[in-house]
Order: sequence, then structure tokens, then C-alpha cells
Amino acid sequence: MRLLPGIGLAAVTALAPTAVVGQGYRLRLDSRFQTVAFRGVVLDSIPAADTVTGPGGGPATPDGYAVECTGGSSYCTFFRPGPTWRGAPLSTTADLTAWGFGAAGLSLHLTSRLGFDLGNADAWPGTTPAVQLLVGYAEYARQRATVRLGRQVATSRLGYYGFDGAGVTLRDEGRGLELVAYGGWGLARGAAIPVTSPALNPLDDFQPRRRQLVAGATAGWTTTQVDVRADYLREVDPRSDYFVSERFGVEAAVRPYPGVHVEGGADYDLAAGWWGSAELSGGYAVSRLAASVGVRRYRPHFDLWTIWGAFSPVPYHAVHAEADGRVTAQLRLRARGERYTFDDADVATPLVQAERKGSRWELGATLEPKDGWLLDAGYHREYGPGAAAVGLDASATWAPPSRPYRVSVHGSSLDRPLEFRFSEAVVKVYGAEAEWTVSDRVRANVGLDRYSEQRRRPDAAAFDWNQWRLTSRVVLQFGRGADLSRLPPAVRGMPGGRAER
Amino acid sequence: MSLRLAISLSVLVILGAPVAAQGFDHAKHRKVFAACTSCHRGVSEPGAAMYPDSASCASCHDGTVEKRVTWVPHAGPRHSNLRFSHERHVVAVAGHGEAPGCATCHAAAGAGWMNVGAATPERCLDCHRIRTAHLAAPDSACTVCHLPLAQAVALTTADVRTFPVPPSHRDPGFPGRLGHGALAQRPAASCATCHARDFCLQCHVDQPARPAIAALAPDPRSLAIAARQPPATHGTNFADRHAAPAAATAATCAGCHVRADCLDCHRPQAAAAPGYHPAGFLARHPAAAYARETSCSDCHNVGSFCATCHVAAGLVAKTTLRGGYHDARQFFVAGHGRAARQSLETCVGCHVERDCLTCHSAVGGRHINPHGPGFDAARMRRKNPEVCTACHGVVIPP
Repeated sequence: MRLLPGIGLAAVTALAPTAVVGQGYRLRLDSRFQTVAFRGVVLDSIPAADTVTGPGGGPATPDGYAVECTGGSSYCTFFRPGPTWRGAPLSTTADLTAWGFGAAGLSLHLTSRLGFDLGNADAWPGTTPAVQLLVGYAEYARQRATVRLGRQVATSRLGYYGFDGAGVTLRDEGRGLELVAYGGWGLARGAAIPVTSPALNPLDDFQPRRRQLVAGATAGWTTTQVDVRADYLREVDPRSDYFVSERFGVEAAVRPYPGVHVEGGADYDLAAGWWGSAELSGGYAVSRLAASVGVRRYRPHFDLWTIWGAFSPVPYHAVHAEADGRVTAQLRLRARGERYTFDDADVATPLVQAERKGSRWELGATLEPKDGWLLDAGYHREYGPGAAAVGLDASATWAPPSRPYRVSVHGSSLDRPLEFRFSEAVVKVYGAEAEWTVSDRVRANVGLDRYSEQRRRPDAAAFDWNQWRLTSRVVLQFGRGADLSRLPPAVRGMPGGRAER
Repeated sequence: MSLRLAISLSVLVILGAPVAAQGFDHAKHRKVFAACTSCHRGVSEPGAAMYPDSASCASCHDGTVEKRVTWVPHAGPRHSNLRFSHERHVVAVAGHGEAPGCATCHAAAGAGWMNVGAATPERCLDCHRIRTAHLAAPDSACTVCHLPLAQAVALTTADVRTFPVPPSHRDPGFPGRLGHGALAQRPAASCATCHARDFCLQCHVDQPARPAIAALAPDPRSLAIAARQPPATHGTNFADRHAAPAAATAATCAGCHVRADCLDCHRPQAAAAPGYHPAGFLARHPAAAYARETSCSDCHNVGSFCATCHVAAGLVAKTTLRGGYHDARQFFVAGHGRAARQSLETCVGCHVERDCLTCHSAVGGRHINPHGPGFDAARMRRKNPEVCTACHGVVIPP
């Protein structure tokens, strides 16, 4: 049933370019499919009188599940293993850019996604609604101005905001000045659907009844050595005319000498009356070495149609450093570390001592022993409030030069103790992946991973991640006027796996 | 005079053609030929062949007088993007009353007869009074000698790949808007000498209508030149820390990146796009989520993304708090305050507002005040009093 509208959308999307475009278009269809499985937990209860002392010294059910009893209550609660959920999410993203409609500078941009779960339950997030328009706007771009109309995205240090409306950018390239203004009906944070959508409220929480109105502006000044940018954003509930959010941010980057850069920024929550996140860092980067040190502060932002801001989330302050250098032509080393401390929460919790400080760091090496071979290994360790993680990972990739395929194998081990819950498990993951560039217009990936768990709880009530995970992907590209398969090297070489795009 | 010029220019042709230069040792034959045009008639005779045929060599290299050789004259157009024409130079130079010969370009000063070499660009620059090194020549100078790439039809993709890089392109600021971007908009820009529209569209995918790009002819051979490598500033983990520079220098980013690059992560349901998080991140996400290494909600909607999964997994508490999940602390509910204020975004992944209002409400709850350091009640009430009514009802304290 849900497949039909999806096929219809895909067909329309695929045929649309030939029908509507003028001189040129680019269309990328990116389809991904994977299988996932996990077994969750379900809440159960037992009369307090029926509990026994468990292996950890606390109360437990007679069949071995740790329970939690509240003073004065006649029953205790615990989690039993729940059903196993098997998901098979399939998604197709269509990304279209068309131009040449008879007016120079006029272009059409569209990104939509079809997604649904072929498994036995909606175990995969974000598959509702099945068809989503991520962006879809017309753009008229001239040297001094750009106008956009439709569903678009505004990205700044204040976050990611989607909206249906209009945006105008004015620029004076000679002086490096840029002014952006936009406004419209907002979408939910991190989603392509309005805040009123039931899909955003699986727990039946408080929810706005009207879409918020978004208005924002950005002013920027860019020279060869300095960049300065200031952002203002407000969201208003049209039903009551009250603010949903109102924030201001500023940031700057300075490059006093070749390779040297200093960057910093901060944002202020005008609605809550406190500073949000801020950062200041400096670094030196040349072709063989990149290193930076900095300080930062992080505080979450909550919209005013929730009550979370009234709970006074406290920020943490961190100092961090990282270095990445090429030791030899074949060997590259990287190191990164950060320590952070939360501000005083100003709350007395004598019954529960929670961590206030934390750190995270990682070491890694990449070796290219010969053309086409890439070996990578890393170690990471995080420890802090709520949770910790320690892990090793390694991979070997064979991508023979000027051959259309790439094969890699990888493995990792992860120990993830939690602060407030019995240690869950050590998870080992190992698998393989292959990519084949069939032609300039077709690329395919397939991968298979095995997740293997070693349970460490004193009982059996835990998540079960044991599974085989199959992933596959096909990317089809269409267009006129230019080669389609060659992404900018800057993108293909971007750290963090972006080469998979 | 004309003959000397023709002779000199003929050598230029010979040495400019790779096949001929590799196949024929001019100096070794210096006693055989009295004039360049003996073999290279095309230099001075319109329509004549530029290279001798096989029979010409065989007149000596017949296996008796001299050993046989294999010689096939170069066929087809030269692999060049030069505007250079021997015929036109003969006429032009003669018109200036000068008297250069083949040796002027193809032999060092004082070199012996037929001790010739390939003409170098410096000779061209000298005559044309361009007083710089070849690749440092001003932008307007390229077109003096070179055709636009789209018109240099004889060049192969492999030829284009070997184009030298001008030193100006190595300037750290060149990839930016104020570097090549400003240069491309100059009227005399000579980008077209080495590049075509396809090259620009490698990066400027969403900007085909930019005047400087639209002015270039399309030519897929231009893709043989790879666009620049990632800037050194990117380094390791740049994806994690790109937020500040990306916001401050969005125009610079746009020099290489296109909208789709950003939307891979910065889009609704970003989880469908692998790449930002390391492989297997799902298993390790509790640690990253608790300590908020980055802001999860910039890319993930807590309701549709986190809570949907947690509902299926049973990791939610609806309306009434029950102990059990935070089982490593027997009295976690009673002492959760610090953990909540430090990791409130994480709590929201499993708990709804009604859970908290069970205790933290001035109406119907246990009247436990949740407001902590920095809370500005007056400001919040001024901005949105409806937030206050969730806990305080219609009677909001002053």
C-alpha cells in the first residue's frame, strides 16, 4: 500500500526533468536499503513481597531480573526482554537542480525523500510520512543578489532551520559584504515536517497547534584575512504572538598569516536571557600538519513551547586540542582530546552522585603502504556524566588506482558502560563493504556487518544487538552539460567518510 | 631572408611535434641537409606537408647505403593549443622588417647547424615583450599564444591533464571568492585557456548561470584537471568542528561545496545519510548523547528520531515515572537533579513533559521547584507566558 505512492513519486521525480527543464539539469537518485534488528525491553512489575536478593545485592525477581522498588510502594518494577524488532528501511532521495528556463540566473532546486520500512514494525525512525520534501525552491541569482522562494533551509551557528517562505541575499563582492534575510512558516527542528505533525509526537506530549513563523537575518563581512558574521533568528507562535525562540549569534575567523587561523563565536538566547554555546580556537595548518587548540562551552537550546528551558540546563566548559600530521609519505597520525566540566547545577542530590567532569580522546593512524591500499586504526575513549565508551576500530581498504571498485573490511570493539544503568555489553562489530562505480552515472555499494554482544548485566534484561546487518546503496545520476560522477576532490577527500557520497 | 626564416620555422615545427622529434636526430644529419625546408616544406609552402614522407628517408635508408628505418610522418593535427602559425609568423615578422630564422627560436645562440631544440615559451615571451616567466605571465597574456581549451580540438584529455599549474593558483587565497572568484570576473580573464565550464561545475554545481561560468564553453576534457584538494585547514575531524568556520565563511565553503553536501547531514532525517558518525555509532551513541559532544538536535528531531526508536525499544516513560531503567542507582528518581540539568537533552529522548510535571508542578504536582541557576522568570514570562502556565496554571507568580 505504502509502496505505491513511493513508486509514483520516484517515477514523477525521474520523469520530471525531461518535462520541465530548459538547458540543463542534474538529478541524483540515491537509494539505500538495510536490514536492522534489535530486541528491546518491556516494563513489568512484581509485588514487593515476592522479590528476592539478586546477585548484585539488590532486589530481584525470582527468575533473576533486577528490580527497582520505591519506598512505600507495594510493588517493584523491572524490565523484561521485549520482542525482537526487525526493520528493513528503504529510502530514496531525489536531488534535482534545473536551470536554463530562459532567464539567466533562474534555477530550480528540489530534494525529496521517499522512505518506508519493509520490516515487521516501524523500527526505523523517520519513515513517517513516507514522502517528504526536504527542500524545494526556485532561485534567481545575480551577481549582487539572490532570491529564493519555496521550501528552503537556513543554516547558521544558531542551528538548522527549514521553512516555507522567501529568502533574499544581497552582496557587495568588492567590499566582501553580504546581507541575508529570510522568513516564512517554519518546520520542526531537524525535520521536514511541521511541528504540528503527529509523527513528531510518538509519546503524546504537549505539542504546538500552529506552525511557527520564522524570521532571520545574517550580516557578513569577508576579506582575505577576516570573516565576521552575525545572525539573528526569531520564531513566533502565530496563535498567541508569543516567542517560540529568539536568539542572536556572532562569530569571526581571522587568518593573520598563511596557515594560521583563529576562530571564535558565541550565541545569546534573548528569550531565556542567557548565553548559549561559545568557542574560541586557534590553529596552524600546512600540507603536512594541522594542529589546533581551543576552548568551548556548550549549552542546549530549547524552544519556548516546551517547558525544558525552565529546568535550567547547565552548560559545560571544555578545553580541546587536536593534531593531524603526515609523518612519512605513507603514514599519517592523528590525535585529539577534550576535557570538560559542567557548571554547578545548584541542586542537592545526596542520594545520587553524578559525574560532573568528563573527557574524550582518540588516537589514530592511517597507512598507505602501496598504491591502492589504505590501512587505518584508531582508539577512542570517552568518560563522563551518564555514559562512557572505550573502543578500538580498524579497517583495510583496497581501491586499485583507475579501477572502478573498492573493497574494505573493518572491525571494532566497543565497551559502553553507563553511569545510571548496569553495564550493558561489549559490542564487537566486523564486516565488509564493496563499492562499484558501474559507469559515470551509476554507483553501487553493498556491505555486511555482524554485531556480536557480550552481555555484562547481572541479569538478562538488556538490549540485544546481536544481528547481521546488510546495507546496500545505488546512486543514479542524470544530467546535461557536465560530467556527473566527479565530485569535487575537496568533497571526496573530506575526512569522516564523506567519500562515500 | 624569407628562406632563412622558413628554414628556421621549419625546425620549430619539427621539434614541436613529439613524434618527429623523437624519431629523428637532427644533429646527426647536419651534413645531409642544407635547408630545413628540404623536409619541412609546409613551413613556407601553403598546403604542403610539414613532415617528409617515408620514401624520403628510404632514399638513403634503403638497406644498402644506410640501414633501413621505420619512419611514419606525424598525421593529423598537432597536440597543441598554440595559436602559432609558421605562415602567419613569416608574414608578420617580415612586416616588421626583422630577420629571424628557424634558429632564432630553436637553437641556442652560437649553436651549430641543425643543433636545434624545442622552442621554449620564453622565446615567445621575449618577442612579444612579456617580461615574466611563462606561467607567471599576466592574465591577459595567455591568449596571445594560446587558444581557448574548447577551440584546441587537437588536445586530448591526457594532454589537458598535464597542463602546468601557474604559481598564482598555489596561493592559499586563490581557491576563495576573492582569489579565483574575483579573477574570473575580470574582462580579460584567461581562464578559458586551460578551463571550460565543466571544470567550474565540478564545484559550482548549483551555479551554472554565474556569468563567469556561463561565459565559458562546455568541454568535458576540462574535467581532466582535478579541482583542488581539501584545504590543509580541514585536517582530521573537520566534520566535527566545521560549524564555526562554515558559518563565518559560508561563501568560501561554497567555492567547493554544494548544497547537497551540507544537506547530507544538515537536513531532516539526517540519519539516512551515513558519513558524519563513525561506523557502528548507533551502539556507542549513549555516551555521545549524554555528554553532548555536539548538538544532536541540530540534525535529529528528538520526537521523530530519538523517541520513535526508544518507544519501540521500550525505553520510554509515559506519564508516570517508574523505577527500573536507571537501575545502577537505587534512588535515581529521588536524586536525578544534577544528571537532568547536565544532560537534559538526553532525558527528553525518553521522557515527556508530563513525566516531570508529576513532581515539578505548582498545580497538582509535588511543587518541587525545577528552576535553577540563570533562570530569568520575568524575561521568560514576557517572551512567552504560556510556558509558565504549563506548571503554574493561570496564576503565574510575579
